[in-house]
Amino acid sequence: MIDRKVNRRSVLRLTAAGAGVVVASRYGVGAVFAQVPPLEEKDTYTIGFAQTGLNNPWRLAESKSMQDEAARLGYTLVETNANEDTAKQIADVASLIAQGVDILIFPPRESQALAPSVVQAKEAGIPVILIDRDVDHEIAKPGEDYVTFIGSDFVDQGRRAAEWLVEATGGEAKIIQLEGTTGADPAIDRKQGFEDYLAGTFKGTPTPAGAHSGMEIIASQTGSFTRDQGRSVMQTLLQSNPDVTAVYAHNDEMAVGAIAALEEAGRTPGEDVIVVSIDGENAALDAILDGTLGASVESSPFFGPIAFETMAKYIAGEDIPDWVLVEDRFFDESNAGEFQGKQF
Amino acid sequence: MGTEPGAGSWKPEVSEPLTPQSDPDATRRSVAAGADIAGLVRRYGSFGALVLLVVYNVVFTPNFLSLGTLNANLTQVATIVIVAVGMTFVIATGGVDLSVGSLMAIAAVLAPMFLVDGEQFGAPAIGLMLAIIAPILATTLFGAFNGALVTIGGLQPIIATLVLFLAGRGFAQVIVNGELQEFRNFGSPMVPNFLFIGLGEIAGIRPQVIVMVVIVLIAAWVLRATTFGRYVLATGGNASAARLAGVPVNQVKFAVYCISGFLAGIAGLIVIAINRSSDPSSVGELMELNAIAAVVVGGTPLTGGQATILGTFIGALIIQLLRFSLIAHNIPDGITRIVIAGAIVAAVLAQRQRTS
Repeated sequence: MIDRKVNRRSVLRLTAAGAGVVVASRYGVGAVFAQVPPLEEKDTYTIGFAQTGLNNPWRLAESKSMQDEAARLGYTLVETNANEDTAKQIADVASLIAQGVDILIFPPRESQALAPSVVQAKEAGIPVILIDRDVDHEIAKPGEDYVTFIGSDFVDQGRRAAEWLVEATGGEAKIIQLEGTTGADPAIDRKQGFEDYLAGTFKGTPTPAGAHSGMEIIASQTGSFTRDQGRSVMQTLLQSNPDVTAVYAHNDEMAVGAIAALEEAGRTPGEDVIVVSIDGENAALDAILDGTLGASVESSPFFGPIAFETMAKYIAGEDIPDWVLVEDRFFDESNAGEFQGKQF
Repeated sequence: MGTEPGAGSWKPEVSEPLTPQSDPDATRRSVAAGADIAGLVRRYGSFGALVLLVVYNVVFTPNFLSLGTLNANLTQVATIVIVAVGMTFVIATGGVDLSVGSLMAIAAVLAPMFLVDGEQFGAPAIGLMLAIIAPILATTLFGAFNGALVTIGGLQPIIATLVLFLAGRGFAQVIVNGELQEFRNFGSPMVPNFLFIGLGEIAGIRPQVIVMVVIVLIAAWVLRATTFGRYVLATGGNASAARLAGVPVNQVKFAVYCISGFLAGIAGLIVIAINRSSDPSSVGELMELNAIAAVVVGGTPLTGGQATILGTFIGALIIQLLRFSLIAHNIPDGITRIVIAGAIVAAVLAQRQRTS
């Protein structure tokens, strides 16, 4: 209770010092906003960017993309790093609100935990654009509590991986699936898209039942999106499933780990075991050029341009859909050379 | 470490499940009690569980009896065993070291700094040596810090090591700004030599497996056959009695935390060499709990005064093999965790039977 009071007071002090307008909107006009707070046209903006963590190449690339685009436009980017700690990200967002930034752009680490933060920003008169992860729509709604969600369609990424694998294996494969962190949205969606496509029940484009009956998932275990776990889980599964002919990893890091495990066990990834994954990082493009990785569906971390473009549209008062879909590319041996070293 | 204590009245109890003869008193007791089942569980419980697991896998897991399976398990368990050996020493004195995972992360972020390019320290080989020595030295010093908090500061070990459990990982993250480092981005020509620790082969065996075996053998010898080993057990058994008997209790406690930090540093280097990358947020995550679990399952009581290095090795192998079996049979992650927790509870219950 005491803590809370102190926090509230310090927030008040900060906002009062930072921008009187914010205080006014918080305690006077705040209730008027049924819509996302507007953003007026200015020469430059201060953007609050609360990153979830910088412990993998993907996040590093996302942050760099935001920094580069802000620098190009001459905007100020105030960054925080939550070190993959949800509680810290909530505190980071609160602090950015208190600093009175013009707009918040960030990936919520957990869809439920960060939803109240989005509502708080709205109450403080700060518009929010979410990137790469969305919040729970029960608590905060796009177009009402925040501007929009910009991100990839993870389910479709899984479908594209499956589609490529069916073709690459001629419709006959014994597949090991390396899942992402148990319970994480990308892991759930990428699994669903892949499995639904093979089962012929993919939404929108169902295939005749039994069309992919030769594609059998013989084991499916989590590798927690990390190279270390991808390698050790693959090492173990290889012992009990030596008849495996294909690997589907929910991200490139696990695929790189799995390829190491396959090579260690004397297999030839790319020839007797076909590997496909998602993300499109540099390590994956290198592996594609080596012939060990078959293909990687991009899950683009380059949010800078599209985030600031969406922000400009919002300032101009244009209509923005609830979900701004990111166009993901597809990398295989035909184009890996062209993008090598340019990803993340 | 000085001479034998003057008063020969105390005799540390060394329980080595593989060699029941090591403690003649206990052997006499169990002979006197006849077929003492609790005694059997105590002596051979963890070893028996390991044998059962192996038999189960031989029968039910396809291709279990292969060199590949052996290699996979030994490489995966190596870092846990190395850290758990240090933990065994600490627990033998009645302490606990929660900081090991964070210390691994510190070693993991320090090593790459010496491999950024080949010329920064004159010759690439010097960089390589520093990349191995400096991180281990640093974690040993952090271990000494733990030891100082426990002995000079008089803090309870769980609190003393909680400090670096929290601050250590933060320190590691701050050093590299929380960013993952990839070895392929480093310029030193010695990078492959460094990665050899985790990825090389010596006569078909991974270097980290050899390191693990050497550490286990040395530690088992130290604990059983040296004065220091007896001091460690005496300190954990009854610190005041040991002090009266002439055991330098504080120096012993200080030393075990240094050993734990030293071994955590080695484990940190192995992890980054295997993965060709260093991640301050994930290296050594949950290692403290895995190591404590291995120690407990292996039959070393958390109360101190008794310890078995071979038991810890077997305990780590049991948990490893359990996880291996469940993944090999494609059991969902959640159930795997529950089963491993069950195994730990069973081991603790078996220990309770001993004391009653």
